[in-house]
Amino acid sequence: MQSANVLLKKIIRSSVLPFAAQHGMKKDLFPPLSRTLSLSLCLKQDNSCSPSEKLDLDAWKKVMKSGLQEVSETVSECKELSTLAAARELLEMWRLAGRSVPENISEEQLKTFMECPSKSAKKKYLKYLHLKELYKKNDKRKMDEKRESRLAAQEQGLETGKTKNTSFVCLWANSMDRAYNWRVAQSMVFGQPLVFDMSYEKDMSVREVANTVRQIVLSEGSNRRSADPFHIHFCNFKEDSLYHKEFIKYYRDAWGRLLITATDQCYTQLFPKDKLIYLTADSPKVMKTFNHDKIYIIGSMVDKSIKTGVSLAQAKRLGLETAALPLEKYLLWNSGAKNLTLDQMMHILLTLKDTGDWKKALEFVPKRKYCGFVSKPMHELKKSLNLINTLKLGKRQEEVKKQFAKNYSKKLRQK
Amino acid sequence: VQPPEKPLQAEEWNRLKEGFRSPEIFHEVMFNSMVRYNSPIDVAKSLLTHVAQSNGDIAYNLLVKYLALCVQQGQTSEIRDVYDIMKMRFRILESGAYNLLIKGLSNSDQWRIALTLLEEVKKNMIPSRTNYESCIKAAGRHQEMTLAFELYHEMLTKDLVPTLDILQAFFDFSRGMKGAELQKELFGILLYLRENQIYPHKTFMRSIKLWFESIPGGNWRGHLTNIKDSGKCPVCNHQLEDSDLTEEEYSDLREKIIRDVIHGTDTFRKTSPQEFEAFQTFVENRLPFDIVIDGLNVSHIKPRKMQCENLFDAVNFLAKGNARLLVLGRKHMLTNSSNWKRGIMKEMQNKADFFFAENISEDDAFLLYATLQSGKHCKFVTRDFLRDHKACLTDSLTRHLFRKWQRGHQIVFSPSAEGKHITFLVIEKMFLSVFIQQPAFRYDCVVQTTGDTWHIPYKDIFEEKYSYKIPKKWLCIQQK
Repeated sequence: MQSANVLLKKIIRSSVLPFAAQHGMKKDLFPPLSRTLSLSLCLKQDNSCSPSEKLDLDAWKKVMKSGLQEVSETVSECKELSTLAAARELLEMWRLAGRSVPENISEEQLKTFMECPSKSAKKKYLKYLHLKELYKKNDKRKMDEKRESRLAAQEQGLETGKTKNTSFVCLWANSMDRAYNWRVAQSMVFGQPLVFDMSYEKDMSVREVANTVRQIVLSEGSNRRSADPFHIHFCNFKEDSLYHKEFIKYYRDAWGRLLITATDQCYTQLFPKDKLIYLTADSPKVMKTFNHDKIYIIGSMVDKSIKTGVSLAQAKRLGLETAALPLEKYLLWNSGAKNLTLDQMMHILLTLKDTGDWKKALEFVPKRKYCGFVSKPMHELKKSLNLINTLKLGKRQEEVKKQFAKNYSKKLRQK
Repeated sequence: VQPPEKPLQAEEWNRLKEGFRSPEIFHEVMFNSMVRYNSPIDVAKSLLTHVAQSNGDIAYNLLVKYLALCVQQGQTSEIRDVYDIMKMRFRILESGAYNLLIKGLSNSDQWRIALTLLEEVKKNMIPSRTNYESCIKAAGRHQEMTLAFELYHEMLTKDLVPTLDILQAFFDFSRGMKGAELQKELFGILLYLRENQIYPHKTFMRSIKLWFESIPGGNWRGHLTNIKDSGKCPVCNHQLEDSDLTEEEYSDLREKIIRDVIHGTDTFRKTSPQEFEAFQTFVENRLPFDIVIDGLNVSHIKPRKMQCENLFDAVNFLAKGNARLLVLGRKHMLTNSSNWKRGIMKEMQNKADFFFAENISEDDAFLLYATLQSGKHCKFVTRDFLRDHKACLTDSLTRHLFRKWQRGHQIVFSPSAEGKHITFLVIEKMFLSVFIQQPAFRYDCVVQTTGDTWHIPYKDIFEEKYSYKIPKKWLCIQQK
């Protein structure tokens, strides 16, 4: 019974149904149970009639071949498929083969898929879609679970039927928003400017731009919620650019009401040049303190393909001062690139602005990238490291030293 | 899981399945391990039968796994059956199944089906180069050389890089065959090796040799040999091609270096327009140089020595033959520090021209420019492989030119092992004992011909680890 059902589903899924109906084959398909049932019967007979318990090893072929004759006929008669449909079908086969391919794919995504220049690009894109789908599904499942538990809790609450008596007014989200907006509005008049340089669209792929915008949205959010927000400027921001489109995807209507300054002008036109400092990991200069009179510029760029020196080149071209975060001075760097995401930068700058405490600010560097904070001055640390190594390794000390030297630039050790 | 050794009954499979920790994926896991342990095909069949009887259907991925097992064991009739079933069941197949079918069928007497499958693959995607390999080998095995070459040219037009196995197969299958057309095609393959600077491995080289010697009436003889530094073949006394680029290639390379390496997408990334212009005028006024030295790179040769001493040694050593030197460095070398003594720097500047770039500029790009601008005789000194600069070049042809030029013009110093005990001798002698100088190659290490001779460099080991190493061994073929 079960086998017959599966078979029936299979036939329906392979879209022969309209065709079959057209040709009056409905009779054969409904009910097809009888035939498959008889088939499995005959299989059983096969087994039973061999008393020596000999297996019919090719029995599976019979199963596969029988009952699907109609399908093959329809396949051969089908018209040539459009390229899109063909691609869709190919994806379906890949899914059957167990590759990471999304279950549902939109027309637009399918087009992007077909425009991928190489096989590996196609594979990557599909995997990306697949993972996205998985996350979405998981999120939905969790939401449903939450809703259910909330409903259950409500029912329980109804039973007890009590209202709380407090002397505080319940502060709802929109009144919080109003308070935040008030602060940001204030910062737009009196606050320290912070510039996002939006001139890197040409250096990025579509996905990198999307990631950039997501990071900026996150940083804008944390800025809004901070005690003393920056006045955010989007400079070199072009209308109808990819950035703009992505922003609208995130903010929708709120985009027009956002308390930031977006302009197509360059920061050099808005501010005096000697006040500007371009933050870039490639800078030879290391930032010592956070200066409240300066205007810091962050390049709005996600760089997945390691294009070094792009933002440094921009600063060089405009003749601006540059600075890098003192990551090596405060952190025992482990691995990973020194360039941080935009929201991490925002967190770090906000903390510096509030407290001026590097240690607190650099808590926002991802933990995987460093082993720990440098607690003692570098030369003391080096001394104790050497001592440990001589005790532990004896002769191999020299090697370790070299390794250390490699990780830490000379400038730092001389300090 | 260890697959069973004998076919099992349905109940036995059921028992195994229930004992497995996640029964939903039992079949997949079992098939995977069957492929890994190369189980007898009957075991797999019994599992398929079990699946078919309990589910009424066999999932596509299980069929593919079964197919992989059949291909692994060369079970042609089974492959055929699976193919028929798949064709019946599915309108199109995906690449995994196509790969297996093409591979499996091309090794059988039904190899022509593999060709039709290849056509089918082409409808939806570009076949892989191993797909082509299977088909070409199958055609070659059945003496259909024209067909094989058609496929070969087709894959070249699709920008696929043929595997060395494909190329070798052509020589193997054409052995002893006659025909001017065929000979032309095979010479074409040798020229393909030349153009792409591919070196055959030892067994491939042997196939080439045997083919040459088997040409009826060709009177070709092959010898294995080593080429001396002078570039003369010890067997036939023929002088190999020198490593110089032609005038056209040279100017092309120079232009591309300026365009892609120095300027790239943004001149400010490596230097600045002002600085580059200043460097250009500096170079124009002092041309031509004989040797251009990467000062910072050379100064790190011996880590125990002061950096400016290393550079001093190198400059003194190279200045001996009245060569015009240019040393490239960065501005920080001019500030008196523990590693850079002003006195020594002054002394060096009498012997060579110096250009100091900004501390955040890339001096390597200047090195390339100055050397290329000086002309063909000019060499450069650095231990850097210059891979990142090669990677900046946009087309592969220029990259090949760059590599060829680099082989011919780069001098590499490396500290020798005995150089640790320094006696107080004349400084030049000391330098010689301390450093081994790897000379720039005078001859070009590529497949080359003069019509009645062929010289083919080959790799001794199949997989050469380092791409920058070039083979020392050669196959010399001459026509008597």
